[in-house]
Amino acid sequence: MAYLLNTLTRKREVDSVIRDTIDKVLVLRFGRASDAVCLQLDDILAKSAREVSKFAVVALVDVDSEDVQVYVKYFDITLIPSTVFFFNAHHMKMDSGTADHTKWVGAFHRKQDFIDVMEAIYRGAMKGKLIVNCPLPPERIPRYQLLYKDI
Amino acid sequence: MGGNYSPRRKPNPNSDPAVPITNTKKRTAAVATTKRKSGFEFCKVCKLNHDKGQRHKYFPNHKRSLSEYLNRFLSKLDDVRYFLDNPSPLRPEHVSRNRLWCVFCDIDVEELDSSFACGNAINHLAGADHLKNLKHFIWKYGGAMDHLDDFRILDDDVAKWEKKCETLKKEVALSGEGSHGPICVLSNDIQNEQNYGIVENFSNNSVYHRHENFLNAVMPLQYYTNEYQISQTGPNGVPYTCGASHTSTFSLPMEKDPEVFLQSSSGSTGNGSMRCSSLYRDTNKNFVSSGFIGDSVGGMMNGDSSYQGLQLLTEISSSSQGDVQGNVHSGAPPPWLDASEKSQTDNHRQLPSVSLISPSNKPGKSKKLNPKRVGAAWAERRKIEMEMERRGEIIKNCNDAEWLPNFGRVWQAGSRKESRKEYEMEKRKLPSVETQPEMPTDVQPYISKRMRRDVSK
Repeated sequence: MAYLLNTLTRKREVDSVIRDTIDKVLVLRFGRASDAVCLQLDDILAKSAREVSKFAVVALVDVDSEDVQVYVKYFDITLIPSTVFFFNAHHMKMDSGTADHTKWVGAFHRKQDFIDVMEAIYRGAMKGKLIVNCPLPPERIPRYQLLYKDI
Repeated sequence: MGGNYSPRRKPNPNSDPAVPITNTKKRTAAVATTKRKSGFEFCKVCKLNHDKGQRHKYFPNHKRSLSEYLNRFLSKLDDVRYFLDNPSPLRPEHVSRNRLWCVFCDIDVEELDSSFACGNAINHLAGADHLKNLKHFIWKYGGAMDHLDDFRILDDDVAKWEKKCETLKKEVALSGEGSHGPICVLSNDIQNEQNYGIVENFSNNSVYHRHENFLNAVMPLQYYTNEYQISQTGPNGVPYTCGASHTSTFSLPMEKDPEVFLQSSSGSTGNGSMRCSSLYRDTNKNFVSSGFIGDSVGGMMNGDSSYQGLQLLTEISSSSQGDVQGNVHSGAPPPWLDASEKSQTDNHRQLPSVSLISPSNKPGKSKKLNPKRVGAAWAERRKIEMEMERRGEIIKNCNDAEWLPNFGRVWQAGSRKESRKEYEMEKRKLPSVETQPEMPTDVQPYISKRMRRDVSK
């Protein structure tokens, strides 16, 4: 399913996609194509990419490639899949009740959840907010443990 | 004692009648006259009720409104003066428009039964009652006593005017038979030559001359009957003396011609007259009234059109263009259809760039994006950059390997800029690690405490 979406392997590509997405939410999924959870997330992303295409752009970043390790470090990605949201090259945070507001860790339960999250981020961004609240109820948010200063 | 509450040195006698008056002798007179319970008067210049009594007319606001007020009236008087110098017969249809409100007497001077334009007004302005009211007004509202004559008409002038009217009447009576009904009045200079000529045959030269007269006087006449609106454009805010120059521009080409009322007399007057006036108005007292005289003197007027319609329509030479492209009669397609095809192709060409630049241009959505949205400034700059790249002015610099987006890190305390700096520092600290990324394994979200303990050890 991931073949429907752009997979980026180089930093340059990531940069260009971040800089070229204007006035749309950019969804960058950091993960691996072989991981089960990633696959699930990719499935949802691929199916809903078209529906949110008017206000969102979805791209996948392969976390194994060397070039993007810069970003892996920069974005503190320790668990995959991690999804980072950007709007006009500015990073959007979302408070979903978890420890890490800077990204979304894990998959979504439903397509609609993903779309709801997209919408919340877009609305917040249009209003000028850099951090938004998650519209999903807690049971649908994947839980995880975040380690401080991980390896 | 009187000025307890205010820092004024002189207490206002009208403000608190209950307080005993402790004024200086200077003010006793004023006090005596104005000391009453509700001493409010209406100033018709400022359109204001005030209790300042006689002091009001010295206030700067009042002085300002007074000058505007009088200027307005003066400009209306200028029109009347024009007709004082050039009496012209008043047609019944214009009577209703020829009213004058005299601000000093507070009456409306109508021209119901006068045979000449502004006849009643002239008589009124020359009258003794008017003078008396004028003096009273100036006493009450201030203003300069030496400008008194600006607001009235002297008896000598009235006498002259009446003489002119007499001559006009005679001429009318004389030439009344041969005409189509219009009253043709000629200049004194050429009266003998073209007296009947004009009436009988509308030859070109007479047309010219008549047009000149016509132009000279008809236009100002129309100007006048348009209810003094035009006069507003003139001397507003300009001191009174400019009024004189205003009239002088009228009299320039005049040669003291009493007027030819051709236009108004013919059937289709309304439009033509309006047009004249508008033309005149455009040139704004530049009496040459460019297009007009140019047309007539230059001989472009053909007698027919000008006479019959009496509308002085200017011919446009459309012959050069019309034939080539075809027109309605030849069955050619209308120009806007052709134009729209062209514009469509233009749009198509422009569309791609436009759509890239503003992808958010969706129907049903407000065109302007919220300027407060996240990264708005950056987006604008980026759009311009992309546009320039598209046009090939700037080469895309994809060699910026060090660029990092604006990111707020997880364990970060300061602003987002800090995250970049922190990252840079980390990068410098661990150069070797960077090359060999050590990804944690595909961890399940949960890491047991035992594992953590192992790591920290």
